[in-house]
Amino acid sequence: MRILLVEDEIKLADEICGYLKGEEYVCDTSPTFASASENIAINPYDFILLDLGLPDGDGMDLINEIKENQENAIIIILTARSEISDRVEGLEKGADDYLPKPFSLLELKARMQAIVRRKSGWNKEEITIGSFMLDLGNKTVSHSGNPISLTKKEFNVLHFLLIHKNRVINRYQLAEHLWGDHIEDDYQSNFIDVHIKNIRKKLGEFAPVDWLETIRGIGYKIQA
Amino acid sequence: MQLRSKMLLYNLLAKGLILLVFLMSGPFFLKYFAVKNTDTRLLEKRENVLQIIRNQGLDNFFVEEDYSRGFGSYNILKEEYILLERIAEPFLVDTIYNEERIIEEVSVTYRVCSYVFSFEEDYFLLEIGRSLETIKDIERIMFRILYITFFIFLLLTFFLDSAFGKWLVRPFKQIVENKLLHIKEPQQFQYSPIKTSTDEFRLLDESLSEMMKRIQKAFNQEREFISHASHELKTPLSILQSKVEGIFNLPDLKQEQMEKLMDMQSTVQKMKKMVNSLLLISKVNNAQFLKTDSVDLGELLSDLHQEWKSMADDKNIKMLLQKNELYQFTATNESLCIMMVQNALVNALKYTPDRGKISLSGEKTESGYQITVVDNGKGISKEMMDQIQNGTVFLKDASKDKSGFGLQLIYKIGLFLNVGVQIETNTNGTSLIFDFKN
Repeated sequence: MRILLVEDEIKLADEICGYLKGEEYVCDTSPTFASASENIAINPYDFILLDLGLPDGDGMDLINEIKENQENAIIIILTARSEISDRVEGLEKGADDYLPKPFSLLELKARMQAIVRRKSGWNKEEITIGSFMLDLGNKTVSHSGNPISLTKKEFNVLHFLLIHKNRVINRYQLAEHLWGDHIEDDYQSNFIDVHIKNIRKKLGEFAPVDWLETIRGIGYKIQA
Repeated sequence: MQLRSKMLLYNLLAKGLILLVFLMSGPFFLKYFAVKNTDTRLLEKRENVLQIIRNQGLDNFFVEEDYSRGFGSYNILKEEYILLERIAEPFLVDTIYNEERIIEEVSVTYRVCSYVFSFEEDYFLLEIGRSLETIKDIERIMFRILYITFFIFLLLTFFLDSAFGKWLVRPFKQIVENKLLHIKEPQQFQYSPIKTSTDEFRLLDESLSEMMKRIQKAFNQEREFISHASHELKTPLSILQSKVEGIFNLPDLKQEQMEKLMDMQSTVQKMKKMVNSLLLISKVNNAQFLKTDSVDLGELLSDLHQEWKSMADDKNIKMLLQKNELYQFTATNESLCIMMVQNALVNALKYTPDRGKISLSGEKTESGYQITVVDNGKGISKEMMDQIQNGTVFLKDASKDKSGFGLQLIYKIGLFLNVGVQIETNTNGTSLIFDFKN
């Protein structure tokens, strides 16, 4: 998939693009409104990650150009602006999602996958891990047809770890994915351990869950 | 006391007092003018009688010049009389006085005009009297009329003044109700002028509009500042977080390196949360959230209970959902609602000891809905409660040597969403009560 990252902060753009390239995406960057406008006119993109505060214009105005030239491109607004009106305006103009800065790169990838799934009508997509199956549409887990009762948060933890399988996901990344940034201090990151313990207990009744590894003092990893 | 009531009371008292003085002094004036009028009439009649005597002699009064018997005549109703008699010794009399007379066993007060005159070498005393009973009757009638007029006047004045006062202060009420009471955020202020012909109210209206323009300007500047500060703080944080995550993704990282990266990640997270919490408080203060959601508070409580129960179980804390009646809370912000109740729940979890208990309940009330979060933790210290009540943003928990925004966020969000937040705390635990008024 080809991505255009419109971001004027070069260091941030390098980090995001570096990460996306590591995830097998092709990534172009545009640090200005003019350069983004040119890229949109010339190249076809699957994703356009759009920062709103550009030095030579408002990123919001690029949405119309994108809609004219790249009808099927998925737009995710990445911005540090905190105004609710920006979020509403962006989504009303046709953006698919809105990710406020500072965000986790893992969260960005999870959102991108969710939009692709939603846009492609893959509501019945299923992922298997070990002998377990995750139904992403219904948000359920089953083993050999037997449903396993996971809470919403437990399902989200498992799904997030699966999206980033074979990679260590630390507690902060998981906590941010589950609760955002507004619960006070880092206390809730300890609750991740409780969720993992419950997932292991509930799934362990059906089959071993040794694919879910604990990285001591850091976080968790699904080895598949 | 309302201005209208004060004006009404003043008018009634002032007019009542004036009328009372008039009422009290009225009969005296009436009597004075009636007597004066009677005197004039008596003098006219005396002049008429003297004129008759001068023209026709005394034949009309005495038979064959027999002056030994005086002449006296009363009209049928005894209202007037005339008396003429010769006097032996001349003395000068020309006076008018009141005199009580008994006529047919009835005492009648007369106004009497006495006059001595000479006619053909004889002296005569002429008395013309007029009954004052008529004047007394008129006096009584007038007094009654005045009393009735007094009360009717006061009654009419009361209603008219009351209606006028109401009409007069109506623009003031409109200013207070439309421009002050119902305005929770500066942008809700209505600049359209209130219709009034009273200069003072127009001035008040204009002054309020001017003041609100200045407040809105400051408000917008603050909003702009938040927006810029948000950008300036969040972008470097994004770079930091991305870089840390980038390094974290590198293959073959040693445990020691990962632990150091976790420390960095922890610091970045703390900074992120602090910036986000500060911005959230500012945004809530500046009403930068939409209130267009409808939330079922019963379901919200049930979801939160389900979400956090396992955490409580893990800490050996009994978390009970005692009641969760369904109730739609409209015109609100769902994410702020969840954040507010969730923060209370997380706080309870944080401060409830091992084998402790947390009770949640949600029930309908007369004014809306009430959510209660009760724990049997050690309670909130007096020092913390003082800070909360004083509106301190950075709550300093001396016992844990850390600052937090949790409780302050609960208060600010409650204020913005029109949810009453009440904390009852002692050493046996804390109750947090949310009053949702639809």
